[in-house]
Amino acid sequence: MTATVPAPAARRSPGKRAFSKKAVVPWLFLAPGLLLALVFKFWPMVKGIRLSFFDVRPFLGDQWIGLDNYTRVLTDHRFQDAIGHTLILGIGQAVGAILLGFALALLLEGQARSLRILRTAVFLPAVTATAVVGELWRLMYYPTSDGLLNSGLHLLGLGPVPFLDNPDIALYSTMAMGIWIWAPYNMVIFLAGLAGVDRSLYEAAAMDGVSLWQRLRYVTLPAIRPALMIVLTLATIRGLRVFTEVYVLTGGGPAGSTDVWMTRAYTLGFTRNDIGGASAASVVLLCVTLLLTVMVNHLRKRGGAR
Amino acid sequence: MRDRRRSIDMRLRRVHRLAAVLAVSGLMFGTAACDAGSGSAGSGDPNTLEVWTRSNPDSAATYDRVFAAFTKKTGIKIDYQPVINFDQQLQSRASTKDLPDVMINDTALMGSYQSQGLLKPIDPASITGGDQITDKSWSSTVGIDRKHYGVPYSRQAQTLMIRTDWLKKLGLKAPTTWQEMLSVAKAFATKDPDGDGKADTYGMVVPGSAQNGYAAWWGASFLWQGGAKIIESAGQGKYAAAMDSAAAVDTVTWMKDNLFCGRKGVVQPGALTAVTSTATNFQDGNAGMYMTGPYNMTTFDGTLGKDTYEVVPAPAGPAGGDVLADGENVYLGAKTGKDKQELALAAFLVSPEGQKIAMTSVDGHQPVVRIPVNSTLDAAKVTKDARWSVVQKAYEDASEQFPNAPDFAPIKQDTADALNSIFTYCGGDVRSQLKALNDTLAGDLKDQDLLK
Repeated sequence: MTATVPAPAARRSPGKRAFSKKAVVPWLFLAPGLLLALVFKFWPMVKGIRLSFFDVRPFLGDQWIGLDNYTRVLTDHRFQDAIGHTLILGIGQAVGAILLGFALALLLEGQARSLRILRTAVFLPAVTATAVVGELWRLMYYPTSDGLLNSGLHLLGLGPVPFLDNPDIALYSTMAMGIWIWAPYNMVIFLAGLAGVDRSLYEAAAMDGVSLWQRLRYVTLPAIRPALMIVLTLATIRGLRVFTEVYVLTGGGPAGSTDVWMTRAYTLGFTRNDIGGASAASVVLLCVTLLLTVMVNHLRKRGGAR
Repeated sequence: MRDRRRSIDMRLRRVHRLAAVLAVSGLMFGTAACDAGSGSAGSGDPNTLEVWTRSNPDSAATYDRVFAAFTKKTGIKIDYQPVINFDQQLQSRASTKDLPDVMINDTALMGSYQSQGLLKPIDPASITGGDQITDKSWSSTVGIDRKHYGVPYSRQAQTLMIRTDWLKKLGLKAPTTWQEMLSVAKAFATKDPDGDGKADTYGMVVPGSAQNGYAAWWGASFLWQGGAKIIESAGQGKYAAAMDSAAAVDTVTWMKDNLFCGRKGVVQPGALTAVTSTATNFQDGNAGMYMTGPYNMTTFDGTLGKDTYEVVPAPAGPAGGDVLADGENVYLGAKTGKDKQELALAAFLVSPEGQKIAMTSVDGHQPVVRIPVNSTLDAAKVTKDARWSVVQKAYEDASEQFPNAPDFAPIKQDTADALNSIFTYCGGDVRSQLKALNDTLAGDLKDQDLLK
């Protein structure tokens, strides 16, 4: 809405006319998107930040309580546990999905038609709704020898393993599903990065007689550095705000062993009707995510300058 | 040169026009989207009531019939909105200070709504036919200040659903005590009741996840039967946490040792992360018992068949056979100024006519009243299904409800978290874990200024 204002002003100063028009047109095109973002993204975000300082009582009127919600959330031992789980899950999922995504990209890089079909098949988990994937994995993890994974273990004379009901391994079972979902997504970004690698470098490396590892280390990895940074940034954000995977697979259980920051915030907001506390938890998460993203970007720029 | 400039100008103008159209349509889309949430057709009309129920499209079809009959009888129109994520939607409407006129939702939420000022107090005497509602039902709508904040609408109590064909095959009888239930469960798990030669059957189904408080919801009947209480009234509107009592310790220890940490197969695998939508072993045909609400009968009749299972009272524990009862109330939104019409609707909803329509299924849609609150009606007669008399008897003679005058949501969630944790870690000390839960519950009550 505000973007339309400079237009008449620009007409009044003929000297700058061409420049102003050029500047205004893209903004006009952006206006609908910006407006939608403002209404549906930034305004709710501002409202959420505001609510985090209040005891939220929708009908009776909110009461200002300062930083109480933050103190409560940060001193709650269940939130403290959830931070640990979020970090383990986030880092494990990010690293796992990056390594697996990279391996898949190396295996499936090329022009052949069959590869295209295979790539599409491998990419499917990334476009399937997480809730559906969660249900599928619940079946795969079924804790008797009827379950897909346990029937495999049964053939080897092992198991059955209660993947989701043992508090010691439930978090890692959730992580495995996360890696399965996100590796293909990373693979596509890596494939784009690999497509840009100068083939002559490989040929030169081959002539120099370097090993496969050296070729990866000195040719491929430096070339896909930008792709790696994008993947890393996305994985960081995704890792911290992980919710659906946990919610549909374990609901944070058993005994809170898979509770992450977002599932705690959800329970606080929607099961306990503590919207203020849930807002504070979300704002903390927003700040941490922002901080980490800025840090990754900073590192990327520094790396780029070198 | 001039031609070229003119063509550039024209092109720019066209671009401007396009941009303006885009901007305006964006604006319109934005406003339309904003309107969608708060629009309520006819909410200003004194002869139209906006009514919300927490319903999916299936049960909404039954409500449609109920409201059509009401409009036909009284001329008062109903702007009916079935809402699935009821609480979130209600909170957002509350923030605009524009509540629905009438809401039908769970009894356990009354304290939460009342503490937020969302409800209008109701005088039972002002409801025509209010005297046909039993005292037991009316007592569940009393708030902290002793005023009523809802009209009872539908009630239900948990019963035990059990596979009769399995019992017959193993020469067993439906259990009446905890010990018998345990032996039946063990037999179901180990004696191959489905005769397929595999050890793939389980004793009973448990939605034991802490998610949405399920462990507390399912475990409540056991707590009552063991003589335990989660919180108890201390008079004068105050409450005390009661989960550190000897009865609570004994009951939870019994559940832990026998159902979760005892012999395998007594409860279905994955019980500790199961919610009702994923605890499908009874309807899938691989678990023999399920203590649950009667609304599941429609599902089980479809999947298992009416003849394969029966509905029996829950087995009794050391302190009796009380089960968890819950249901729905009719709530009147605060400050709407349509008292007469709202009371007329409430009276119709609890009248024999209104209850009967809501209890019958047309075209296979779910009925929305389970046990009628109107004492002149007999559930089994209206539904022509004798199993409902078991449920009605359980509700009338042997049931307890969650104390719903306080905001019970945090209390239920904390209880579920603790029970789920106790059942997960078999090596833990129940007494100290329940003591910790009790402290948490006392904290919840203190937050609500209700601690004795």
